[in-house]
Amino acid sequence: MNIEKKRKIESVIALTLSGFAATIGLFWLVYILSDVLIHGLGALHISLFFNDPAPAGAEGGGLRNAFVGQLMITFAATLMGVPVGILGGTFLAEYARGKKFARIISIISDIMVSVPSIVIGAFIYAMLVRPLHHFSGWAGAFALSIIMIPVVLRTTEDMLSLVPWTLREAAFALGAPYYKVIIQVVYRGAATGILTGVLLSIARVAGETAPLLFTSFNNNFFSTDMNRPIASLTVTIFQYAMGPYKSWHEQAWGAALVVTLFILVLTIAGRLILKWRYRR
Amino acid sequence: MSILRTCGKVCSLAISPKRKFPELIFLSLTAIASFSVIFFIIGIIIVLFKESSLAIGKFGIVDFLTSTVWNPVTGVFGAATTIYGTFVTTALALLFAIPTALGIAIFVTEIAPNFLKGPIGIAIELLAAIPSIIYGMWGLFTLAPIMSRYIEPALQNTFGKLPFLSVLFKGTPMGVDLLTASVILAIMIIPFTASIARDSFNLTPSVVKESAYAIGATQWEVVKNVVLPYSKLGVFGGVALSLGRALGETMAVAFVLGNNHKIATSLFDAASTITVTLANEFTEADSDLYLSSLYYLALVLFVMSFVILAISKFFLLKAERKYSR
Amino acid sequence: MTEIEVKSLDFYYNGDARALQNISLPIYKNKVTALIGPSGCGKTTLLRCFNRMHDLYPKHRYEGEIHFQEKNILANGVDLINLRSRIGMVFQKPTPFPMSVAENIAYGLRLKGIRNKSELIGRIEEALKHAALWTEVRDKMNESAYELSGGQQQRLVIARALAVEPEVLLFDEPTSALDPISTAKIEELVVSLKKDVTIIIVTHNMQQAARVSDMTGFLYMGELIEYGTTEKIFTNPDNKQTDDYITGRFG
Repeated sequence: MNIEKKRKIESVIALTLSGFAATIGLFWLVYILSDVLIHGLGALHISLFFNDPAPAGAEGGGLRNAFVGQLMITFAATLMGVPVGILGGTFLAEYARGKKFARIISIISDIMVSVPSIVIGAFIYAMLVRPLHHFSGWAGAFALSIIMIPVVLRTTEDMLSLVPWTLREAAFALGAPYYKVIIQVVYRGAATGILTGVLLSIARVAGETAPLLFTSFNNNFFSTDMNRPIASLTVTIFQYAMGPYKSWHEQAWGAALVVTLFILVLTIAGRLILKWRYRR
Repeated sequence: MSILRTCGKVCSLAISPKRKFPELIFLSLTAIASFSVIFFIIGIIIVLFKESSLAIGKFGIVDFLTSTVWNPVTGVFGAATTIYGTFVTTALALLFAIPTALGIAIFVTEIAPNFLKGPIGIAIELLAAIPSIIYGMWGLFTLAPIMSRYIEPALQNTFGKLPFLSVLFKGTPMGVDLLTASVILAIMIIPFTASIARDSFNLTPSVVKESAYAIGATQWEVVKNVVLPYSKLGVFGGVALSLGRALGETMAVAFVLGNNHKIATSLFDAASTITVTLANEFTEADSDLYLSSLYYLALVLFVMSFVILAISKFFLLKAERKYSR
Repeated sequence: MTEIEVKSLDFYYNGDARALQNISLPIYKNKVTALIGPSGCGKTTLLRCFNRMHDLYPKHRYEGEIHFQEKNILANGVDLINLRSRIGMVFQKPTPFPMSVAENIAYGLRLKGIRNKSELIGRIEEALKHAALWTEVRDKMNESAYELSGGQQQRLVIARALAVEPEVLLFDEPTSALDPISTAKIEELVVSLKKDVTIIIVTHNMQQAARVSDMTGFLYMGELIEYGTTEKIFTNPDNKQTDDYITGRFG
């Protein structure tokens, strides 16, 4: 066989293998999502949303407390984390643009994005849980916001840097002070990008479990008190899935479906917004 | 320091006092916000050290890292088993994930027809967005039974009969073990790694690829000899980043690993990682030494992942610098 | 009558890189003054001294004086924000803000504290008419400024600058990014504006300078080689270098 033929065959084999790999990759997506869909749909009764947990093993329980708790924690985390992230990214992209320490903060932010979230949970435990002698929704929200801040900060920084410098100069030339230039002109130019960053950061923390394990802990009863342990969907999934009762497993699937759908919707929305904005 | 100079520069933009004030406020707010990241990281380091100081004092460094004893009853703790579990699951996961992710990246960038590139790209991003607890739960309910009923016995009957490999496949396949945990972890990091690899591959300028084709190279040769070397730095960075993430994964692994503090030699054994130990035992710790040892583990994990993430950032920055010319 | 007097101006980038050397010239009120010269000669640098744009960047240094209505605007303590609302600037590339047409024009007015809605609307219309853009955008006021063509965007930017009623308007190569028809419209506009505003225009297009300006300054390597009426510079310059540049022997 001449060398050309050999190379061609080698190419076909190699590329087929990579096609195979792509198929495997997609296969898992379809398999996992359809599993979650099938099992989860079965558990989506009205009772899941409107009932609180029944005593262990009994039928008819729901996860109302977990839905409410999850919403409250995520909302609180967003309120705390997003403004700090946006302001921080603004500093790096505007006032501190090009400076060395801005680079360092940027790099450390990137690292913080990928730090094990359970370590953050342990950190908050020592800071907010033990001194107060009880778990609390606030502690959980705070842990989540620590995860959100670097994510929002980096996307804000990147989006603001995309706004051309001449736009700022034009505003300066009209006699605007820098902070007004940023707030009134640059933010507007980067608005959709920053919004996408925020949506993606919410999607990220909405599915986090580890940081909540020893901060907001869990609560089998309905509660809206953020100063006490509060239920969350993710921790409940953990507890129920590892538990012995079939009804618990069912509810875990239902909760998993809701969480997955929520996150997928946010992620898709974020990407779509970005695409729509930049299609011009 | 240059921070003061920045303030000075900004102030000179708006001389009269009436205008200086709101500018200063905004500047300070944004500056404090950005420094919060530094505060948090330093805070985490300080807290981890402080909380683990009791255990560090009792067990030292080398002894703690090499001791395989983890006994809450007698109050003797060592990190070796959990570090071992962390490494094994991560290494295996990378072993499964990296070739697959590279294959996906090659497929998407080079082979797929244009109408497929978009949807597959979206699919990868969606996979990457699914939270780890979903993977973990799915692993427990769906994958583990499949593993214990079909795949693991099959492995045992084939590779398990070979002389050197048999030790890897010993024991009753229960599905909750190192192998399943590694597979789940691998599935989790594939989309992330594939995404970074794909972005790195796309940075190869088409002119370079075209000149390779013009000499008569096959598609595979262009990938192997042009695209891969060109994207080396980005791919390394991406792999290191995936490694860093895998190290810190808790929920994907917690369901299917069991929590067995021993150096498992068979892939079918239950084991433990640092993250799983923390998740399961943190709220059960009933003595100060126990909790302190757990914090010690957290500290070890933090240091490991920080170092690896810093390395990955180093590679990624180098790649960026190389391509933005 | 002299609106601006430049006196022995030197300018340094980055501490010691001198970009302008001993520039002195008068800018006459309600006239168009053109600054021409080959690339890198310092004409844009000089232009940006008038509204102190250089102050946005570190390590710049002015030496000498620029007197605007009897006051030296290069002195310490000058209110730059006020200065920039009196000396406006139009850039090379059209820079509409990411807002609607109306909001773009209103921006400078709001900065000056004008909030009354009817006053704003009135002044917006006035500015757009002044910039010869009113008829084209009167029913697009709430659309994004990015929907306009390049030439329209540039006139929008001019309207925006005019809205705050500056006394001087600086143009930095305003038509180099535009097609010939838009260029012609803007040149027409510049000539018609001079009865209300003093204009300084930087251009690398000599024919444009000849078409629109009353006075012309020729710069080369940071020095002002010659300055005089446009007619004189282009038909009978005193300096040989000027003559070489005009006739295309270099640049």
